[in-house]
Amino acid sequence: MYKLLSGLIGILITVMLVFNGTLSKNTGNYSSIVIIHLTGLICISCILLIKKRKLKLYNNIPIYLYSAGAIGVFTVLLNNLSFNYIGASLTLALGLLGQSITSIVIDHYGLLGAEVYKFKKQKLIGLTIITLGIIIMTFY
Amino acid sequence: MLLIILASIAAGTTIVLGRNINSSLANRIGLLEGTFFNYIVGLFFSLIFLLISNDYLKLSTNLLKSVPIWAFLGGFLGVIVVSISNLVTPKISAFYLTLILFVGQLFTGIIIDYFSQGLISVGKIIGGLLVFLGLYYNLTIDKKLSIEKTY
Repeated sequence: MYKLLSGLIGILITVMLVFNGTLSKNTGNYSSIVIIHLTGLICISCILLIKKRKLKLYNNIPIYLYSAGAIGVFTVLLNNLSFNYIGASLTLALGLLGQSITSIVIDHYGLLGAEVYKFKKQKLIGLTIITLGIIIMTFY
Repeated sequence: MLLIILASIAAGTTIVLGRNINSSLANRIGLLEGTFFNYIVGLFFSLIFLLISNDYLKLSTNLLKSVPIWAFLGGFLGVIVVSISNLVTPKISAFYLTLILFVGQLFTGIIIDYFSQGLISVGKIIGGLLVFLGLYYNLTIDKKLSIEKTY
């Protein structure tokens, strides 16, 4: 079931990329991000209200956990920029390269609470294949 | 052009970081609550960027009217994506999560490129397959590593 959900988000992420990219082409990168967050915030607020969930001020949570929102802004900024120059599939493939490299670093050092998976040189092979795939996508 | 390439690679980095931090938060305070804070912090930062950039000076109702209605749905989709990600990230192995997310994204990306630009690029399909294989290979190494750990 969770695997199906993952597949669903995969599809939604791409569609979202197109919607956001179009918005930013018309209203400018920075304006569009504000609009995107505003509409999203209204949406989640409505959901919380409907479900009658309360928000409390939590005092035993490290501040850095709240930073995901800020990081997300950069994600949207960078993706919108790329999408308008190189299209959906290339943006995603390069993003995947970034994700792979980052995951390898995170795994190696066990950052953010992940288990430690030491870097093996074999992983360079996988990264090379990924890069090769991206090059093919670019020129054909 | 190189800058754009670096930009999308960096986007991948932010995706992984954001996803992990946000699901840690959601673990502690709840799925929807985590999504809410994601958006409120995000709104705050995006407002700052907007003010710095002076783009807001270009905003007008005429401009907003020129945008197709569906383009405003990105935020709504984002809420769904963030909420489900918060749910799914701790529940299935990173192996399957990354793989499935990629397949879903790429498949949809190719279809959308076809409808928006009218071409089925064989290169994209073959290249995409290679990216998938490279990813699968690396993730198999991880799986072997974690199996070794249990002995």
